[in-house]
Amino acid sequence: MPEPFVTIPCLDVHGVTRETRLALFRLVLLQRIAEERVMTLYRQGRIPGSVYTGRGQEAVAAAGGLALDPTDVIAPLNREMAAHFARGVTVGDVFRNYLGKADSPTRGRDGNMHFGMASKDVFPLVSMLGDLCPLIVGAALAFKRRGEARVALTFWGDGAFSVGDVHEGLNLAGVLHVPAVFVIQRNGYAYSTPTTRQMLNTSITERVRGGWSLPCEEVDGTDAIATYVAIRAAVERARNGEGPQAIEAVSMRMEGHAAHDAGNYMDQDEKRRYETERDPVERLAARLLLDGFSAAEVDSHRQAASDEVAAGLAEAELSPAPDPASLADGVYAQPL
Amino acid sequence: MPEITYLEAITSALRDAMRDDRSVFMIGEDIGHFGGPFGVTKGLIDEFGPERIIDTPIAEEGFVGACMGAAWMGERPIAELQFADFIACCFDAIVTVGAKTHWRSGIKLPMVLRAPYGGGVRGGPFHASSPEGWFVGVAGLKVVAPATVEDAYGLLRSAIDDDDPVLFFEHKGLYRRLKGEAPATGTRTPIGKSIVRRAGSDVTVVTYGSGVDLALRTATAIEGAASVEVIDLRTIWPLDLEPVLESLGKTSRLLVLQEAARSTGAGNLVLSRVAREGFELLDAPPALHAPIDTPVPFAPELEDGYLPSLDSLTRALRDLLDY
Ligand SMILES: Cc1ncc(C[n+]2csc(CCOP(=O)(O)OP(=O)(O)O)c2C)c(N)n1
Repeated sequence: MPEPFVTIPCLDVHGVTRETRLALFRLVLLQRIAEERVMTLYRQGRIPGSVYTGRGQEAVAAAGGLALDPTDVIAPLNREMAAHFARGVTVGDVFRNYLGKADSPTRGRDGNMHFGMASKDVFPLVSMLGDLCPLIVGAALAFKRRGEARVALTFWGDGAFSVGDVHEGLNLAGVLHVPAVFVIQRNGYAYSTPTTRQMLNTSITERVRGGWSLPCEEVDGTDAIATYVAIRAAVERARNGEGPQAIEAVSMRMEGHAAHDAGNYMDQDEKRRYETERDPVERLAARLLLDGFSAAEVDSHRQAASDEVAAGLAEAELSPAPDPASLADGVYAQPL
Repeated sequence: MPEITYLEAITSALRDAMRDDRSVFMIGEDIGHFGGPFGVTKGLIDEFGPERIIDTPIAEEGFVGACMGAAWMGERPIAELQFADFIACCFDAIVTVGAKTHWRSGIKLPMVLRAPYGGGVRGGPFHASSPEGWFVGVAGLKVVAPATVEDAYGLLRSAIDDDDPVLFFEHKGLYRRLKGEAPATGTRTPIGKSIVRRAGSDVTVVTYGSGVDLALRTATAIEGAASVEVIDLRTIWPLDLEPVLESLGKTSRLLVLQEAARSTGAGNLVLSRVAREGFELLDAPPALHAPIDTPVPFAPELEDGYLPSLDSLTRALRDLLDY
């Protein structure tokens, strides 16, 4: 009989307060539960278009969002729902966008996680992978020019790391010495292609350090606390004028690329092991128990997140559908 | 009033805009002490310093993308391409991020991309193109192409003021050839308004950029034989067709002139809209005078025959008038 797998608790990093641990827990739970709900709605045919989840990567999303100060800015991709929540985007906003409602962040013009919110300084996701890298460098350049102690942060995957814009953006960030933070999610796959077939050297940390001469730290992206500490430190270095910073967060995409992809090409044994040992939500829950929270307390946080998701969906479902007559509004900020 | 060149008008517009507004800065390759390949930014670094005249690595996707991020944060960046041909390198940032962001999110991206375009300078296939047509029809972008010294200044000032991404196609051949009275400081040419440059009654030539100077010279040359009305589009996207339709009400004959190869450029949109909206006004099939569908050739014997000229335009006008 093989050994049964057991969840590995997050490391206990000194100095990460109980409030921060609970804030991270709320964020990873919200993403997990909201995405599970989205998947159900998708299978019921209630969501138009496609669905991408970040199952297995919630800790990175939560940590990246929470590591910023309120005045900082962020450009998440579609695995990073929790980063939106950390910035004050609500569950209702997310569902409204998934459902294509008139009052969704994109007014029904784009779906799923393809949105941002100007009011929360969240740039709307751009599908063309790589584009957000130079964009966030430009936002950071604005801060540097104005002498503002603000930081701009973005995420992308190991697959996107091969896109040319990423090279141009990292190089530019280095030369201009701007307060930008890049969180690279190495989740093992780009759609169906494993990282080993995307690049010869799969250590993004080595490549960022050696290729662009930028600081980069590798972190276990399934450990919310460790990831938070690493990203927070990178953000503070960037804020203190130490220039651009990168983080390589290693995790596993625990589902297919999108709802339509069962991910059969993935190593199923490895996936099963990961699901038990390294589920980011359960790792953090196990840490909280070791920290002295009771099982009932931990469960009450699960329930609270579940209620928040249910309320967000209920609210979103009440929203009206968009009016086709409004489609041309806003093509230009300054119409002619 | 002193005379200045088209190039000097652009430099003045950049200088005046940077004096007026701290949020305006420039970014591009070799634009600092060197002043850019054509010297447009020469001297600006002395007044504004390297924080506002930023030399970048060779990275069109990178620095054009960065302009969008800076614009998101309320800056008003101006990017310079060394040649408009290199706009292919940053196409994605322009049509994906620049064009769609406001419509998707309400976030404004006020930025200007300056693109020195056009032939007649023996630049060959990679340094003489007129790629403006790639952006005609892209919702969310504004595309302008000044034809005069005044507009080189005034359109650039308006582009910098504008809250949308504006592609500014400045013609390399006009840089030093075109001279005119120095525009008053602060002059603005409205974006989205075409203008009649010369009144006439027999035929309407609709053009932009370098075509305007050629059309005006040709109109003068054939003055005794035909009365030519010349319309300068100035903004090639979105198109302002009203003055064209008004003119056709008078002349009933249309010739569209452009330096871009005949199946691209802004001219085809003018033709299709006139076919739909002004068919009844016409007495002859509308003509398109533009190069054949090849890249711009290098050898003088080839390039001179490729580009519209006073002779070729005269022949095209005669054919149209003889119909
Ligand atoms: C430039 C570009 N090419 C192709 C695609 C289509 N596409 C969307 S996601 C994806 C895989 C991305 O992999 P990775 O960057 O590792 O992120 P992950 O999906 O693993 O989060 C591809 C190929 C795209 N969005 N952008």
